[in-house]
Amino acid sequence: MEKVLDRVQGFFLDMSITEIMNHSVISVKPDRTLRQVKEILRIKRISGLPVVNNQRKLVGIVSIEDIIKALEGGYIDDTVENRMTRDVISIQSTATLKEVIEFFEKWPYGRFPVIDNDGVLVGIVTKNDVMMALLAKLGLVYLHDERRREVLDSPEYFARSLLTGERLDKSGADFYFSIDYFDINLAGVGASKLRQFLLSKGIDEKTARRVSIATYEAETNVVIHSGSTGAIYCFIKPESIFVRVEDTGKGIEDVELAMREGYSTAPDYVRELGFGAGMGLANMKRCSDNMIVMSKVGAGVVVEMEFFRGREAKQ
Amino acid sequence: MKLSEILSEIKARVLTGEEKIDELEFDYVAASDLMSEVLAIARPSMVLITGLTTPQVVRTAEVVGIQAVVVVRKDFLPSETIDMAKACGIVLAVTKMTMFEACGRLYNRKLKPIWSA
Repeated sequence: MEKVLDRVQGFFLDMSITEIMNHSVISVKPDRTLRQVKEILRIKRISGLPVVNNQRKLVGIVSIEDIIKALEGGYIDDTVENRMTRDVISIQSTATLKEVIEFFEKWPYGRFPVIDNDGVLVGIVTKNDVMMALLAKLGLVYLHDERRREVLDSPEYFARSLLTGERLDKSGADFYFSIDYFDINLAGVGASKLRQFLLSKGIDEKTARRVSIATYEAETNVVIHSGSTGAIYCFIKPESIFVRVEDTGKGIEDVELAMREGYSTAPDYVRELGFGAGMGLANMKRCSDNMIVMSKVGAGVVVEMEFFRGREAKQ
Repeated sequence: MKLSEILSEIKARVLTGEEKIDELEFDYVAASDLMSEVLAIARPSMVLITGLTTPQVVRTAEVVGIQAVVVVRKDFLPSETIDMAKACGIVLAVTKMTMFEACGRLYNRKLKPIWSA
């Protein structure tokens, strides 16, 4: 987890403020009246205005608080120049997101004008801008290629098989187990039941073993990582065993990275139980003959595996 | 080697499945505290030696098809672990011996690793 955070932090915190701020900043000249400012705030639905001189240099700021005070004090027709806050806290346009966040922590203001080296107003940044910029950036990070998006965005994401593309009649599954617990000590209950079920159906020992090991890994992943519940479906086909393990949890940020042996985001308490060594997905791949992992961040993970009957696991 | 001989070599006390220790025979032994690893490398026809005491050990053994598990460096095991072993029909034993000594003794008695480097 820390590794991921580190990576993500670098990626986000070094973002330039110019990527975050609002460039088309609305400003006002010092000779306007507070009544005019009130109208601008109302029409534009904003809560403050930087004040600039004729050279567009920042000279002050008026906020909705100033307007309220002006209405109460009966000086709403006074000029901005007489009532604005003169020592404005502004941010240089060379700042990064990290500094922006520090500004919001340090000062109780909702917005900061952004100025260049000459003190000229070039933008404004609010908490909302920070949030929107982060979301936009997240969108870029998690952008899947078109083909995946097609599958993921389709309402049938959870209804079609990833391996065969066919509609899955989950109610027709030969085996169903609901992963409805969050206790890591229970992880594997479903896989263990599946193994017993397969043996009871006359599936050979070796195949049942491969299926249950891979399912155990998938089930453990759901319990450790998804933060949600999940389900195991198994279909017994004449030539093969088909298993689908799905959850509706957090999803995997980078499936390729997660597939890498030794990579794990498991917390320490999981590692103390002998898990979280980063071998799960690799082991699932080894045990199965075909495997697909599909994930959408925030929408869960689907793992499908196919096991041809009567074969040994790859070494 | 007979499981009963293996267990007496490492001074293990049987907690479950006592009735099977004279029938079962093993040529291979693996030792690991990493259940992920056990899942990845294990084969059914072996004894698993581990320092972990959680029920997960038994569940992992069951999923892999391991019939005998020896926990090292312990006097007692949690009752959940013992209950699960009972339910799965797995032979579960415990010894005070360290993992190193247990493995060394069994290696001396010509038990084999699951693969050789």
